[in-house]
Amino acid sequence: MILYTAMPQELVYQTDPQEYSQQLMVSYNGIPVLAERTEDHNYRVVRVMSTDPSHFLEAGCTPGTKLPLV
Amino acid sequence: MNMNNNNYASGNQRGQHYGENPSFQQGNNAPGNPGGQEGHKDEKSGLLEKIQQLGQTNVPQLSQDSKIHCLTIVGQIEGHLQLPPQNKTTKYEHLIPQIVAIEQNQNIEGLLVILNTVGGDVEAGLAISEMLASLSKPTVSLVLGGGHSIGVPIAVACDYSFIAETATMTIHPVRLTGLVIGVPQTFEYLDKMQDRVINFVTRNSNISEEDFKELMFAKGNLTRDIGTNVVGSEASDFGLIDEVGGVGQALKKLNELIELNKDKNEGIIQ
Repeated sequence: MILYTAMPQELVYQTDPQEYSQQLMVSYNGIPVLAERTEDHNYRVVRVMSTDPSHFLEAGCTPGTKLPLV
Repeated sequence: MNMNNNNYASGNQRGQHYGENPSFQQGNNAPGNPGGQEGHKDEKSGLLEKIQQLGQTNVPQLSQDSKIHCLTIVGQIEGHLQLPPQNKTTKYEHLIPQIVAIEQNQNIEGLLVILNTVGGDVEAGLAISEMLASLSKPTVSLVLGGGHSIGVPIAVACDYSFIAETATMTIHPVRLTGLVIGVPQTFEYLDKMQDRVINFVTRNSNISEEDFKELMFAKGNLTRDIGTNVVGSEASDFGLIDEVGGVGQALKKLNELIELNKDKNEGIIQ
């Protein structure tokens, strides 16, 4: 399909509303992190939202780690 | 007219609204490892490794509360519309409580703001800027990569600002996306909004209103747009940013400001 339009791409292909619910804010041992849901119903850390630099050294919540659901 | 779409960004993005997800408390991850036996084995060998390497189980950590906190402003500054998750955004509902917490926490003595943003919502950007400008603790900003559009007031809101040699800042007129009513009042409204940005920048930096407006309405610098792209030392030459530098200089300056702030507070007590 070839499109020839002045409409911006994101208007032509609008985001599936389901995509929005993939990410949520989680508190990991008091550290606010942004996590996304993976296929196996786990959560993977996307971003550490804290301003404390020491929280970025915390191995348990570096971006990419899976958060186990207890 | 939809007031929510006052976009001041060098990119042009649209988003849809969706509700805020509730956050939940994540339990301690140490013993409840779902990996079962294998996970347990890994944990044990990790502990052994630490004992072998360091002769102890505790790895030295930063002190519990660092006295300098770091606020990163990346991607697009998100306003009242939530952008799709593939966009990297800075959300004001995340930043503002953090700034309040920094103001209240006695152990935090200074704030380093790191910017690499394309701009975004005018009102959200100005909200963050005003919060930073009114913070009673010393603040230093560092523009890395880009601090475009509404990133400019955020960068100048801090007590002292740095820009990396290769970093750029685009200064251009405010624009509106979404539904616009074609009446002269729309233009006046936009002009007023632009004045808010100009007033904030000239109040918080050494650039004059004439200079800033000249940069904002310059022709021929940007493709298909009016405005100017100032790189590193140019920004400091105009007085927009205080100095060209990196993270080392920024932290050194912040520590200096913290010492000054301490002396001032002690003076009041005596």
